[in-house]
Amino acid sequence: MFNDLDPILHSQLRLAVISLLISVKEAEFTFLKEKTNATAGNLSVQIQKLKDAGYIDVVKQFKDNYPQTICKITSKGIDAFAQYVKNLQTYLGK
Amino acid sequence: MEQEKKLSEQESLVLITQMINKAKNSYHDTGIGAMMWGAVIAICSLVRLSEIHFGYRLPFDIYLLTLVAIIPQIYLSIKESKERKVKSYDDSYMNYIWLGFGICIFLLIHTVNNIFSDWGSWADKFKEVTGTSATPGFYEYIAPLFLMLYGLPTFITGAACKFKPMLWGGLFCWACCIITVYTTIKIDLLLTALSALSAWFIPGILMEKEYRLYKKEQAQNV
Repeated sequence: MFNDLDPILHSQLRLAVISLLISVKEAEFTFLKEKTNATAGNLSVQIQKLKDAGYIDVVKQFKDNYPQTICKITSKGIDAFAQYVKNLQTYLGK
Repeated sequence: MEQEKKLSEQESLVLITQMINKAKNSYHDTGIGAMMWGAVIAICSLVRLSEIHFGYRLPFDIYLLTLVAIIPQIYLSIKESKERKVKSYDDSYMNYIWLGFGICIFLLIHTVNNIFSDWGSWADKFKEVTGTSATPGFYEYIAPLFLMLYGLPTFITGAACKFKPMLWGGLFCWACCIITVYTTIKIDLLLTALSALSAWFIPGILMEKEYRLYKKEQAQNV
């Protein structure tokens, strides 16, 4: 019996973002953009989707007069990621 | 990277691994702080050694240099923290470990100074009662305590960050801690200088080299 993979996470860019955030305490938007090689617009949309799902927290602030966006995975996001990996393992084990 | 590209299970797993590795290798210490503290402690120990060996005294305590070094350290910490785009869990733990180390060093100096202030009168009483010359100065015995403390955060940092030069540096501090129990103050100071160089200065140079390479790679990728 295979569980469906979480559609929020089962998309290339969102999965990349969550995988980056699971490994760190928090990361700036520019860091995520640099590591995923995504465009700013595309990344913004996907971050918003993850935020709406409650998987990440997004804090917008100013640093040296420049806007700064900081992303951090939530405990719901950690659980969802753990479940996603678990489901993935069952698929790979079939 | 396209957001809605459908991934196979295998591709998902590869992507997760890739991103976790990218996040892991995302931060490189500049090594400047380590180099600075290694140099400062080595200079302090060697200057004190030369004071004892050549029988002169500087008009100030050379160890005050460690207090002066706190100012550039604060500046470096603020600058590096501002430049960083990502904070890892390891960094937070490391910061607490080094902060705790700083507090322990301060407490040790405070304790040693207070005990040492009474040491003169104890030594005089010892001479009065026994008729023999006083035992060696209290400072003969404190080097192992400092070396023991130097080794702890260095060893933890080396192990946690998988940075072997620092791991070996920490072990070297502990080896010197054992040796200095049996040696004179001059050898203690020499070994303290060597420990500072091996635990911080040399690893700092290596970190700086890695940091330069990382920056070069980053510039080439842009």
